[in-house]
Amino acid sequence: MAVAERLLVIGGGPAGLEAARGAADLNRPVLLVEARDTLGGTPWESYATLTPHLKPTKEIMAGMLTAVEDHPLVDVRLSTRVVAREGEAGRFLVTLEAADGSRQVEEVGAVVVATGFQHFDPGRETQMYGYYEYDDVITLVDAERMMQAGKVVRPSNGEPPARVAFIQCVGSRDRHIGNKYCSKVCCGIASKQSIEIKHLLPDAKVFIFYIDMRMYGFWEDQLYWRAQEEHKVNYIRGIVTEVIKKGDQLLLKGEDTTMGRPMEVLMDLVILSVGMEPSAGTLEMARVFEIPREEHGFLATVGEPLDTVTTPVAGVFVAGAAAGPKDLEDSVSMGGAAAMKAVGLLSRMSRTPA
Amino acid sequence: MMTVPYADVPIEEKTRLFEEVKADARYDSYLYGCYECGICVAACPSARFYDFSPRKIAQALAREDVELVYEQMNDDVWNCSQCFSCLRCPRGNSPGGLITIMREVAVKNGLRTTREALAGYTRIIYKIMTTGTQVSPDMLQEDAFPDWGPGVKTVSDNLALWRRALPPETMHTTAQSWQVEERTIRELYAIWKWTGTLDMIAQVDEGLHDIMEEVMDDALEESGIDLGP
Repeated sequence: MAVAERLLVIGGGPAGLEAARGAADLNRPVLLVEARDTLGGTPWESYATLTPHLKPTKEIMAGMLTAVEDHPLVDVRLSTRVVAREGEAGRFLVTLEAADGSRQVEEVGAVVVATGFQHFDPGRETQMYGYYEYDDVITLVDAERMMQAGKVVRPSNGEPPARVAFIQCVGSRDRHIGNKYCSKVCCGIASKQSIEIKHLLPDAKVFIFYIDMRMYGFWEDQLYWRAQEEHKVNYIRGIVTEVIKKGDQLLLKGEDTTMGRPMEVLMDLVILSVGMEPSAGTLEMARVFEIPREEHGFLATVGEPLDTVTTPVAGVFVAGAAAGPKDLEDSVSMGGAAAMKAVGLLSRMSRTPA
Repeated sequence: MMTVPYADVPIEEKTRLFEEVKADARYDSYLYGCYECGICVAACPSARFYDFSPRKIAQALAREDVELVYEQMNDDVWNCSQCFSCLRCPRGNSPGGLITIMREVAVKNGLRTTREALAGYTRIIYKIMTTGTQVSPDMLQEDAFPDWGPGVKTVSDNLALWRRALPPETMHTTAQSWQVEERTIRELYAIWKWTGTLDMIAQVDEGLHDIMEEVMDDALEESGIDLGP
């Protein structure tokens, strides 16, 4: 069997961009397929600034996009999906479908799946936070969209909020919901947003209700301490059980566990720190490539903890949040690792006659 | 909603005292942020014996919980022995230092609970501020310290003799712990008057303040020290 030289990267977010750039820089032709009509993925689409440095997404990610767009060895297909595949490692035949429904079959030697996550939908029945009932209950993503427009207001009346509460672990660490895992980045993002809210609204009181703060590594002082010490953000250990409407405000009920007392507090704006779930595209690629899903529903890998990117399907690698909750650092590192493994596999196969 | 202690005190008054605590020059170096680890409580001798938590002091101030800070200024700050074991806080906070500030604000503002907490200390305050020493040998009375056993009577009956048996001459005293230099005493008087420490006493015990002020003024006048306006 002649080994196909080209690598297929599915998904143009941070992990897919890094995988495509890395493989192309190693002299491999790359076919990059992205379902959206633009590269950049979820951060580019939904996040005004990136954690932990609070730098504007468009400004610091633009170079990643152009490095791929301008690369002579990368063929970028936007608004395109992978809908079928045949073959095996060394020679896959994948069917691509463009937005107009037209289909095209392409030959590739290996695949990097970088189809990412979607934010948890806080409308499930056990979530009594009123996301679909109250205008002033929003998610981290809704807050980012407001920040993209340079403001934070109460959606109900367009006024700046005097009291803002974040509720952590929405859709994460919850047996009833079925997501037992921690989504890893929401503590950092909530802390980042709390700093940004204080920049925009210095007089606002900002509260973060949490179960555990998971501010690993440098995020501890870059985000957590900074929010608490410089911006007087209130971290209160105790998760909110219910949000109810009271006048034109929202009443949060919970326990202030370290003070050892029940609490009922009024807020003007409630931001739900929604976690990560596999994206629709990730689930679709699990089906198309027959990649097993690990126990939390993400794409399985076989070599954890030392190999983060090799799936049980020969020739198919995964990078980024398709494999589980990841921060940007992990996603980009995995993109590079997946490119290396995929290129390595194809080189080995070319040297060894079948 | 939960019942608020000291509900009769207007929120404006509680806020005023809180702002006075925050305005203290030491405040920012005593409080960074609290992640509620409890190391201060683990290290705190008072926390073992009283319903008292240095963590809650730091937390309440960090959260700017005006109601709780007021409650603590009344009910908690005098349970601290100011030993500063809590300085081992990994965030660099000083709960004990925060309590020092809260106590000073409580004293300056003559809170009722502060007057009550300090009522038993009139004699000690008088001793410290007029002699520069704290407990004096003649305070060791059989009736005041029964828990010290029968030897107390033997000692107190012949106190001056026992004291003269001590090698350092400066300890041949009965009305103060040791002999303090006249010059030192006058410097102390000057410091207490200048820094407003003496005035603080007026808010909690006016009688005591007046007596001490007379003692100090006489001594300073006699020595020719002029504190100016």
